[in-house]
Amino acid sequence: MSKSLMIVDDSATMRKIIMRTVRMSGLEFERTEEAGNGAEAIEKLKTAPVDLVLCDVNMPEMSGLEMVKKIRTELKICEGTKIIMVSTESSQELIDGVIADGANGFITKPFTPEKFQEKLTPFMN
Amino acid sequence: MVEQICFNTVLLDSAKEIFSTMVFMDLVEITEPDVKIDRALLGSITFKGGLEGCLGICCDVQCARAIAVNMLGMDSDSELTEEGTCDAIGEIVNMIMGGVKSRILKDVGNLEVSIPSVVSGNNLNSLEHKSIRVTIPINIDDKYAAELSLLYRESI
Repeated sequence: MSKSLMIVDDSATMRKIIMRTVRMSGLEFERTEEAGNGAEAIEKLKTAPVDLVLCDVNMPEMSGLEMVKKIRTELKICEGTKIIMVSTESSQELIDGVIADGANGFITKPFTPEKFQEKLTPFMN
Repeated sequence: MVEQICFNTVLLDSAKEIFSTMVFMDLVEITEPDVKIDRALLGSITFKGGLEGCLGICCDVQCARAIAVNMLGMDSDSELTEEGTCDAIGEIVNMIMGGVKSRILKDVGNLEVSIPSVVSGNNLNSLEHKSIRVTIPINIDDKYAAELSLLYRESI
């Protein structure tokens, strides 16, 4: 079944690296979207929800943490959307907090294609 | 606890990890530095919490472009913009800071980290007295000279 993906990161370079790593992991998506912060992502998701969101934590305007809360509390259209955080932040407190708020997983930077495969494959079926 | 941390090792280990897994370039410490960096780009990120300070990487434009090209998997730097180069250096410093943070977490607790910034320049003078500076001259891919720096002090 074809899937759609959105990458949310304020760094265009990191969005490209994540996209490349996703491809290297062997996972395929029919549609891919990008957003530079949480607010931009939410605007796009309102009209075109995706199956999977890979999202940075620290971003200007709206952080990844705020974005997760908003999607889970206000965006009924994204009920089935899985959200995986991708960040250099790695404290257990942060990970537990964002999972409690509705994220479905956490990948720490630096990452590898194998790590993406491990974390994303459960959401591909 | 802070006194027990070898910041030199922490900084270098984090940078090596990032360069090997995300940039695909070798990074080694230079024991007899002869670092001359012209037209430098300085990527820096500040942090506060149990420790406060600034972490940076300073390298010349040619080195920064080589790093960006490798990170992005480009064949050459012909299509690389200045903005793209700065963005890549910002991400590098952000990831190195993440590695440092996770390595010292149990000793100093959580650190709040800023969004990275990249500017042209050579000096890093943003903290006042009582700061300790760790500086590691490095060589990237046996070709480019660069410098890692960590300026920190215990929170007052």
